Amino acid sequence: MRVKACVALTKASIMDFLQFRLSAFVMLLGNIIYLIVIYNLWRAIYASVDNATINGMSFNDTMIYLVLASAQFTFMEAYLVWMMGRAIQSGKIVLDLLKPVPYAQYLLFGLEGGNLCAFVVTFIPTFIIVQIITKGAIHMGINILFYLAAALLGMIINFAIDFFVGTICLYTQSTWGINIMKEVVVLFLSGATVPLAFFPETLKRIAYFLPFHAIYNTPLTFLTKGQELGIGESFLMLGEQLIWAVVLLLIGKIFWKLSERIITVNGG
Amino acid sequence: MEYVIELKNVDKEFKVLNRHEGLKGSFQDLFSRDYKIIKAVNNVSMNIKPGEIVGYLGPNGAGKSTTIKMMTGVLQPSGGEIFVNGRIPYKNRTANAQNIGVVFGQRSQLWWSLPLIESFKLLKDIYKISDKDYKDMLALYESLVDIKELYSKPVRQMSLGQRTLSDILAAFLHNPPIVFLDEPTIGLDVSMKAKIRNLIKALNKEKNTTVILTTHDMGDVDALCERIVIIDKGTMLYDNDIEHLRSFFGAYRTLLLKTKKHPEELSDEERNAELANVETIVKEDFADKDFTFSLSDEGWCSILIDENQVRLMKVLNHIQEKMKVYDVRLEEISTESVIRKIYEDAENMKKAN
Repeated sequence: MRVKACVALTKASIMDFLQFRLSAFVMLLGNIIYLIVIYNLWRAIYASVDNATINGMSFNDTMIYLVLASAQFTFMEAYLVWMMGRAIQSGKIVLDLLKPVPYAQYLLFGLEGGNLCAFVVTFIPTFIIVQIITKGAIHMGINILFYLAAALLGMIINFAIDFFVGTICLYTQSTWGINIMKEVVVLFLSGATVPLAFFPETLKRIAYFLPFHAIYNTPLTFLTKGQELGIGESFLMLGEQLIWAVVLLLIGKIFWKLSERIITVNGG
Repeated sequence: MEYVIELKNVDKEFKVLNRHEGLKGSFQDLFSRDYKIIKAVNNVSMNIKPGEIVGYLGPNGAGKSTTIKMMTGVLQPSGGEIFVNGRIPYKNRTANAQNIGVVFGQRSQLWWSLPLIESFKLLKDIYKISDKDYKDMLALYESLVDIKELYSKPVRQMSLGQRTLSDILAAFLHNPPIVFLDEPTIGLDVSMKAKIRNLIKALNKEKNTTVILTTHDMGDVDALCERIVIIDKGTMLYDNDIEHLRSFFGAYRTLLLKTKKHPEELSDEERNAELANVETIVKEDFADKDFTFSLSDEGWCSILIDENQVRLMKVLNHIQEKMKVYDVRLEEISTESVIRKIYEDAENMKKAN
């Protein structure tokens, strides 16, 4: 088994993260600025309507959702497409390919440690702050465990999508446009920028039909609607995520296998 | 298994878009289907035995790196067969990776921000190296180079020389039967080059590792390689040991003559006069033979002689009868000049066709 290698890669990426302490703080700062912007934006939206709730969500609900979504973004977004694009363009990919670990695994475990660190450094503090400010608006029960499982699966789905998009870079030799498109689509359809509850009915139905909502919306639902969810329903949600994760990883793997042949390593 | 690496009539073609010039051309390119085929490697065959150090040489763009990438399994050949450790590399790249080590001159496989020893530990787990083998290898490294003091240094803070050294050690760490070194001494100073050559030689001897080395530095070749393969424009020009290389284009040797007591004190004109004098003496007796006359930096007259045409001693005897010679020196033609000659001849052959 390759468990040892995967653990080693995770460990290395944790050490890597810790080497750049400053970047964790900058990340946190950037996140706060983003939160100030969306706070004011949604304040204005709620001020413009008479009801205290829109689509069943109060201002507080929306804010909690978005704050947690942005905190989740900081640990889930690993900029894998950039990394792959850069490795392909610079030709460095050849060294990664020559490790006795399949490329996808090498990337996944090489990123995981960083994600784990970002989770501890940004998500947990944000979560505690939200709990304090809202005086315990987030239900603390079995749903937290479900959240952790769902976040892990969400991360894997996100990784699988990134890996697929990164593989496209083999054909295009450029990343900018592809990555921007991916980012917009994923963040919007996953409910990271706007809660899915606000989507028009048709779009909502489409969004639930696609895998993206399993990245942000599913885990966050465990936090924001923790009380209302039954155990059966919770497992159903996890099950859907699991299926998406397996399917997308498989598609990514097949696409990579087909594309590998066209690798032309740049330079030297 | 007699050979660790076998290449049989290997070809590699790349499809490249014919680019047009200018802004208009760039727009045309967006929809162009006008491809040309570039043959980077053309019908290359070779067999490499365990424990050999093979210098793989050729001018820039000759197809060296492409061949290496095919042998490592990153690129798939367009034609022919490759076996590395009895495996087809591109079909079993991950399995093949366990049995090869690679260093690509200006790229590092080490973790950029981590101390060197962490990279080594990581490689230990990735390559499933046993604790004992790992310890023994590090002990061997420490006996060969001063690597201990680099262990705690993050790779990004290393000088190019230290990094290359570390990268070579990292490539040998899992004791692979084959190591590919793609321009390992590029951009290094003389003493670092010597250090790295000694290291490669020692590791090759100690572990009987097969080393495939590409380089533009003939010092590397002279110090390390018993056998060289020369390739240009994708075609193999030469595959044999260095000794044969020297006789490949005739048995050239250089005869250096000191015709005045203190030639370094002569002016340029006087030196040229001396050389012209020697030239006339040689030519009157060996008019039908080819020589190349030149002046060395210290003012000695140098004559390049093809010993297949005329023995060097005969020329020397003849000169000595005609004029006073204060001192004599013989030089074997350097590998560098032979290889330059091969590159140039290949160029001329291309032009002639």
